[in-house]
Amino acid sequence: MNLVVTLQGVGGFFGRMERTHPLLPWLLAIVALLPLPLILSGLFNDYYVYLANRICIFIMLSVGLNIVKGFCGQVTVGHVGLYAIGAVTAAILSTNFGFSFWMTLPAAIFIAGLAGVVVGVPSFRLEGAYLALATLGLGESVRIMISVTPYLGSSTGLGGIPAPSAFGFTFDNFTRYYYLVMPIALVGIYLSFAILRSATGRAFQAIREDTIAAAAAGINVRKYKLLAFVISAMYAGCAGAMFAHMRPGYIHHNNFTIIEMVTLLLMIVLGGIGHVWGGVIGAIIVTIIYDQTKDFYFYQPLLFGSSMVLLVIFMPQGIGGLIDRYIVTQRFIDARREAGDGTS
Amino acid sequence: MEALLGFLIFGVTIGVVYGIVALGISLIYTGLDIVHFAHGEIYMFGAFLGLVFAHQYNVPYWLAILCAMIVTGLLGIVIERVFYRRLTRAGGGYTVAGMGMIICGFGMSVVLQNIAFLIWGADAEPFPVNFGMPYQIGEIFLPKSYVATAVAALVLMGGLHVFLKKTKIGLAVRAVAQNKDIAFLMGINVPLMISLIFGVACAIAAAAGVLIGPMQSVQVEMGYLMLMKAFAAAVVGGFGSLPGAILGGLLVGIFENLGAAYISGSHKDIYAFLLLILVLMFRPQGLFGVEAKVKA
Repeated sequence: MNLVVTLQGVGGFFGRMERTHPLLPWLLAIVALLPLPLILSGLFNDYYVYLANRICIFIMLSVGLNIVKGFCGQVTVGHVGLYAIGAVTAAILSTNFGFSFWMTLPAAIFIAGLAGVVVGVPSFRLEGAYLALATLGLGESVRIMISVTPYLGSSTGLGGIPAPSAFGFTFDNFTRYYYLVMPIALVGIYLSFAILRSATGRAFQAIREDTIAAAAAGINVRKYKLLAFVISAMYAGCAGAMFAHMRPGYIHHNNFTIIEMVTLLLMIVLGGIGHVWGGVIGAIIVTIIYDQTKDFYFYQPLLFGSSMVLLVIFMPQGIGGLIDRYIVTQRFIDARREAGDGTS
Repeated sequence: MEALLGFLIFGVTIGVVYGIVALGISLIYTGLDIVHFAHGEIYMFGAFLGLVFAHQYNVPYWLAILCAMIVTGLLGIVIERVFYRRLTRAGGGYTVAGMGMIICGFGMSVVLQNIAFLIWGADAEPFPVNFGMPYQIGEIFLPKSYVATAVAALVLMGGLHVFLKKTKIGLAVRAVAQNKDIAFLMGINVPLMISLIFGVACAIAAAAGVLIGPMQSVQVEMGYLMLMKAFAAAVVGGFGSLPGAILGGLLVGIFENLGAAYISGSHKDIYAFLLLILVLMFRPQGLFGVEAKVKA
C-alpha cells in the first residue's frame, strides 16, 4: 500500500507540474537523468554506461512496438525487421555517402516508415494469427536479405560507421553518446503519451476494442491502422539509426534475429501491453537481466522463453496492469470509506 | 531439361515434407483455434529423437520414425496440457486467446530450442541412412530416400484421412473442430480430443523431421525456417484445410527450388516468405478457394 501512496504522490506531483507547463516534468526528467553516466562510471565502470545507452535504444523500440500492439491491438512480430532497416539505412548512408548523423537519422526514420506501410497494408485484411504470420515473414525476409546481399553487409556486417558530432563535439564514447540517446528516448516517450492522449490515440484504442464498432463510429479503420504501423516503424527506424551510430559503429545481421524479437516481446509483455511506462520498465528490467545473466549464456533463451510463457499464463497484464489494479482497488477502498463516513 | 526435372523432383520431395508439417499446423488450427508458433521446434525434437533411436539404439529407420512419432506426440500432449490449456481456456471455452497465445508459442519455441541445444549441442549432426543406389530413369537419377519420403508422406496422409473420416474417434475429432460446446453436449470428451489432436499433429511433425534427416543434417536451428515454410504452405493451401496443406507444401517446395535454380540461389529462403506474403495480401483464403474458417 505504501507503494500505491508513493505512486499517487508522484503522480500528483507530476500532475501539478504539468499544469504549470506541459513540458516541465519532461525537462526535469532530462535534468535528473543527466548525471547518470557519471554515477555509473564512478560506482562501476564504463560498461554500465554502455548498458544505459542500450536501455535507451530498447526503450525506443518497445515504446514504438507498444503503439501498434498495445494501443491499436495489431499483432506484429516483425518489428526487428524495421529496426534492421533503420540500422542498415543509417550505416550505408553514412559510410558510402558520407552523410552525417543528423541526415541519416531522418533518412532512417523515413525509410523505416515506408517499410511500415508495407508491413501495415496486410493488416487491412488480416487479423490476429494471420497478421502475425505475415509480419513474421516480412521481418525475417529483411534479415535474410541483409545476410545474403553483400551491399547490405551480408556475413561480414557493416563497419566503420562514424560517431555523430555537432558543433565540433563528437559523441564518440558511451558517456557522450548517452547525452544523445537519453533525450531522444525521452522525446520518444513524450510523443507516445501525446499520441495516446490525442484523437489519433483514441481512434487506435477504439480499433483495438472493437474494429467494427470503431468503423461504425466513423473512424477510418484502414487509415488509422496504417498510421499505427507507420508511427511504430518510425520509432524502430530511429532506434536502428541510434544503434548503428553507437560505438563501435558496427552492425551485423545477427543483431536482428528472432532472439531479439523475443527479447522485445518479453519487454512489453513484462511491462504490460498497452502501458507506455510498462514498455519503459520492461526495457530497463529485461536489458539489465539480459546483461547480468551473460555468464549463463547457454541458459538465457530458456530463462527468457519460460518467463514469457509463465507471464502470459499467470500475469497477462504485466507490471503495468498490476500497478493499475492496485490503484483502482485503492480508489474503491477510499470511495467506500468516504461513503461509509457519510452514512454513519 | 534434365536439370529442370532434377529441381522439380527435389522441389516435390521437400515440398511433401513442408506439406506434412503444414498438415500438423492446420490440424491444430482447426482443432484448437490457435496457430502454434512452436511447431518448428517440435519438428526439430522429432528429428533428434529419430536420430537417437536410429543410431544409439540401432532400431531400423522406419521403426525410428514410429518411435520418434510416439515420443514427440506424448511430449506435445504434455506441453498442451500444462501450458496451452490454461490459455485456450482463458478466452472462455476454447476460443482464440489471440496475442497471448502467439507470444506464448514464441516463448515455448525458444525454450524448446534451448533445451535441445543443452541436450544435443549446436553442431549439425549427420543422419546417414543407407537406402542403396538411386533409381535411374533415362538420364535422371532418383535417390531412394526421395521415394521413401514420398511414400511415407502418402502413408501418413492416407492414415490421417482414414482416421478422420472412417473411425469413430475421427468423427469426434471433427465434431470438436466444428463446435466444441455442442460436441460437449453430445457426450464427447472435448479436453481429451483436444489433447489427441495436439498429439497427432506433433507426431506428424516428428515424422517430417525424421524423413528430412537423411536429406539434410539434423541441427538445433532447423525448426525455425521449417516453421515459416510450413506456415507458407498452410496459408497457400488455405489455413485449416488438410488437403490444401499438402498441395500448398508441394507448391512452396517447387516455387522455392525453381527460384533458387533460375533467379538466385542465395535468396532461396526468401521465396517462401514472398509467396506467403503475396497470398496473404491478395487471397487470404488460400489459392485453391477453400473456405477458410475465420473464427473470432
